[in-house]
Amino acid sequence: MVELANVTHAYEDETVVTDLSLAIDPGEVVAIIGPSGVGKTTILRILALFLEPSEGEVRIDSEPIWSLSEDERLQLRRRIGMVFQDASLFDATVARNVEYGLRVRQSWRNRLRDELQSIVGSNGTSEAVTEALDLVGLTDKVNQEARSLSGGEAQRVSFARALAYDPSYLLLDEPTSDLDPRNTDLIEEAILEARDRGIGVGIATHDMHQAERIADRVAVVLGNGIAEFGPAERVFEDPTDERTAKFVSGELVY
Amino acid sequence: MLLEPIAQLLPAVIEHPFREGYVRSIIYVSLYVSVTAVAFSTLFSLPVALVMGFSEFRGKQFVKSIINTGMGFPSVVVGLLVLFAVSKQGPLGAADLIFTREAMIMSQFVLATPPITAISLAAITGVNENVRDAAHVLGGTRLDVALVVIKEARYGIATAILAGFGRAISEVGSVLIVGGNITSSSGISKTRTLTTAIQLEARQGQYDTAMLLGAVLVALVLTVNAIVVRLGDEGAMR
Repeated sequence: MVELANVTHAYEDETVVTDLSLAIDPGEVVAIIGPSGVGKTTILRILALFLEPSEGEVRIDSEPIWSLSEDERLQLRRRIGMVFQDASLFDATVARNVEYGLRVRQSWRNRLRDELQSIVGSNGTSEAVTEALDLVGLTDKVNQEARSLSGGEAQRVSFARALAYDPSYLLLDEPTSDLDPRNTDLIEEAILEARDRGIGVGIATHDMHQAERIADRVAVVLGNGIAEFGPAERVFEDPTDERTAKFVSGELVY
Repeated sequence: MLLEPIAQLLPAVIEHPFREGYVRSIIYVSLYVSVTAVAFSTLFSLPVALVMGFSEFRGKQFVKSIINTGMGFPSVVVGLLVLFAVSKQGPLGAADLIFTREAMIMSQFVLATPPITAISLAAITGVNENVRDAAHVLGGTRLDVALVVIKEARYGIATAILAGFGRAISEVGSVLIVGGNITSSSGISKTRTLTTAIQLEARQGQYDTAMLLGAVLVALVLTVNAIVVRLGDEGAMR
């Protein structure tokens, strides 16, 4: 389980997240929903161990990670995958992008060997890379340059890249906000497939319908904190918080 | 025909093997000194540019303005300072480097470092921040992230190195001061470069040799610039 306990975060003087507690279990999809600018991205970055919160604890399997050494934290960090709003692919082939996470987990010796082999052109695509690309339906693009992909394809490659090294948790920051319906469907299918494999998925989205379609639990972020956190069905159909009720019914809260 | 004046000069060189050895040794010294200096500059500049591109620290603007000032720093003054450093009374006097290629490498290092650092820094800060962050969240260590950034900025960095080389190879003032423009008794260059040889030959009225050396230098610089333009195009397409 990856969890935030009473987390507060401020950039310089501006507090973005206040006293927030949240947990993602393996094998579930937790949607973090809320209007733009409420700090959803910050929450995901804190969950991805990318950003140290100003106050509060971040734990993975009850281990408070910011009190660990950098090496120990790296090992925990490597159990997490993240996809950004834009695909953020490296300027290389699809295969090189997707295998990146696997590559950095190898010893320098093996990396050097693979590097030399790829110059000679004798190393094939690893099984994990093919499998990850298969999940997003892009095995035929494996040798294409990443910059030649369409926006939807690039985002699907980005998803495969975060999945190839078999993380325990996957964090997605508005992964479909720039995509057409077909690519959105494909990403959502891949998210559910990842969940069924036992991966805990956290997804930030401003699209309530998307949260309704794929989330097991929903955290509604309004203002600086969480207004409501519970099973998706209950949050959408019978919210206890008044502001949440207004937000899910489409009324403006601000 | 554009190349005719140069072609007319060639027989003069070929007929005089002594002169040919002379020209060849000058080209060799020029390339040796500039390539070595630029290699050291690159090894120094890249980590500096990476640190400056990645982190916020006090005095960063000050360091930036020093680098920018360095780009326009008069080369003869650099030569003078290096001369003081390697002279008998200077801090490096014991190493006896005055009028050596090593001293020339030092002064060209000082000249090439600012442009290489500044252009690399611009290329590194131009790398999409999300791509940098992606390398981190996918499990990369700091070194992995730095390698990704260098790879993403490779066209800009290559341009920076070539710009540094262009400044080094075409520079005359400082190598003249610290190198001394020396040849051996058999007429083989010791510290004579293309630029210092041209000014000497021209002063002595050896215009054909000076012209030939000038043509070689222009060809070198043009080649480097052509590569820079080409890389700029490739980088811009991305």
